[in-house]
Amino acid sequence: MLGYYFILTVVMSGMMILLKNRTFNLVAILLFALVQAGVTVYANLNFDTTDAMFFRYDSLGILLTGVLAALTPITFYHSYLYLKRYSPALSQQSIYWAALIVLIASITGAYFAENVALLWVCVEVTTLCVTVLIFHSRSKTSLEASWKYLFISSVGVAIAFMGILFLTAVSVESGPKSLDFTDLVRNSQSMNSTWLKIAFLLVLAGFSIKLSIFPLFAAAIDAKTIAPSPVNALMSSALINVGFVGIFRFYSIIAQTDAAVWSQNVLMITGIISIFLAAIQLFKVKRFTRMYAFSTMEHMGIVCLALFAGGIGYYAAILHIVLHSFVKSGLFYQLGQSNFLFKSIWVRDSGAYFKINPLGALVVLAGFFSITAIPPSGLFVSEFMIFKALFLEKQILIAIIVLVLLTVIMFQIGGFLFHLLFEKSPEHLDKTTLQINQYETITQFLLLGLAIYLGYSPPGFFVDIINSAIAVIQ
Amino acid sequence: MTYFFIIVYSITLVYFALTERVKKFIALLAIQGVLLFGIVFFNLNQIALAEFLFILVETIVVKSVVIPVFLNKVRRDNKLKRVHETEIPVFYSIMAVTGMLMVSFFMSNYLHHQHIHTKFFTVAIASVVFGIYFIIIHKNVFSHLVGYLIIENGIFLLSLAVGSDIPMLVNLAVLLDVLMGVLVIGIFVNRVSDKFQSTNIDELAKLKD
Repeated sequence: MLGYYFILTVVMSGMMILLKNRTFNLVAILLFALVQAGVTVYANLNFDTTDAMFFRYDSLGILLTGVLAALTPITFYHSYLYLKRYSPALSQQSIYWAALIVLIASITGAYFAENVALLWVCVEVTTLCVTVLIFHSRSKTSLEASWKYLFISSVGVAIAFMGILFLTAVSVESGPKSLDFTDLVRNSQSMNSTWLKIAFLLVLAGFSIKLSIFPLFAAAIDAKTIAPSPVNALMSSALINVGFVGIFRFYSIIAQTDAAVWSQNVLMITGIISIFLAAIQLFKVKRFTRMYAFSTMEHMGIVCLALFAGGIGYYAAILHIVLHSFVKSGLFYQLGQSNFLFKSIWVRDSGAYFKINPLGALVVLAGFFSITAIPPSGLFVSEFMIFKALFLEKQILIAIIVLVLLTVIMFQIGGFLFHLLFEKSPEHLDKTTLQINQYETITQFLLLGLAIYLGYSPPGFFVDIINSAIAVIQ
Repeated sequence: MTYFFIIVYSITLVYFALTERVKKFIALLAIQGVLLFGIVFFNLNQIALAEFLFILVETIVVKSVVIPVFLNKVRRDNKLKRVHETEIPVFYSIMAVTGMLMVSFFMSNYLHHQHIHTKFFTVAIASVVFGIYFIIIHKNVFSHLVGYLIIENGIFLLSLAVGSDIPMLVNLAVLLDVLMGVLVIGIFVNRVSDKFQSTNIDELAKLKD
């Protein structure tokens, strides 16, 4: 199934670029959205089986592909609006659509990759696609962001590949020479812990650019500053989840060994530094896109802390990335609207949003509560679980430090969003031209609502699939 | 014979630190490709024939011909002759690369492991670290691409050092990925040069708030 899916994606993207036909593009993306949903259903029906030799339908992959399948049609819808507003040139539109569907397919590949090296390949393909998408506007700043993302990602992913090679070395002595995650987890207890530690450090450093955490977060932040808002929504949700999958799968290997506590401490340090840097950087931020990018960094730092805490923290980590995906993408889709209305992503150019776009302003207000994990936000539930896990593990000092940093972050984000909602509208704004279709906000309300529903009243199958995903490290 | 290739490879690293001419960078990368071909030819002949041929083609065609030819085109398109944006004197760079070779030699002995070939490991680690150093000291996007390729060559040696057993199909995907990455980075070097009328990295600093 996945083999056909990848072939279809390559054929469709190639034809989009060659034909440059508006109708074909629309038919192709509709078909792709259906196929993406089909892949999720197929994976669920074929749970724990191998496909196309190097892929396996495991719980984590199915869960995150489900999130991606939900975001795909919404991203297509907002991309359609974005292209209509900013990019009338058909050739540019075709390249955008082609890069977007290859990005989604490579993200799906990364979720299901059973072979370590193939995971690396899929991650590298996401880098190339994202680079093309960031460069969409062809401006100087987009070129700068694309260059930085492409170059730092390539170097980062090369470092991660070194980690994979070290893992090869330790896997040889522990049994059959296999780079499949299932075999690596099975044979992990007989692996040399020093080499495993080096491999984990390199993989964590390499994938940190995808997860947008310390140390290689900077290029991801710059990329999100400039990327089109629908691309930003995917980068801050599905692509972030690719980074999580990479680190989680390596953590699953090391968690079975003597180096488990060591790796948890590394995650703790990474998490705290990420949250700290996000809090500091938010004082300097002047653009909404950058603010949301640092907010993502903060949330991924919290996810690292959840893995450090263990126990209930594992469940909370996965719940957190799912809920964060819905909330952050909803906010980025809304940001697309406000960018269009104010013709700017700068905070100083915004204001009086309740008067200009009342429904959009409601999304922003609901989004503020959601992203800062204030009840009734679904993220409140996952963060509550993470702090509970920290307190249960008697990591009280760490919990207090993080709570202080989160308060600072909440204050800063509130300042920016309330400026958008309640400040006077900028003087240069021509209010007669401010028109937006109010139905555009429906998808954003749906995503924020879904995050609340999954946080407070998760359906049984959702809880089961998360429990199944974390079974490997418990 | 393998030691000869490895020693010459180490010398290319020192020469990278010495030179400032873009043409020489490209020539050194091509030489590294040939040296990697030699190393593979004399060391991997016990693996499956198809895999052996694939790796030989990867080194002699991709690393020694395709990438250098492409880089030469980028060099000509952007009229790049000499890269002198580095702030570190050449003498210190030579000392640094020598230090890297020594440290990686001691490290590989310290981290002694039965499944790791120390002779490759030493120069592989030195190559990766030097590639990163090369990127840091240069302020030119083209030099950054060269640094990335030095890292890639180091990682190739590392895969020989650990005797990685990545399936052929995945290996092909890895190669295609790296090649695509290099091509796209090269295209972006052209774009940067066109938009900013320069390939100096200092021009790319508009995104900070």
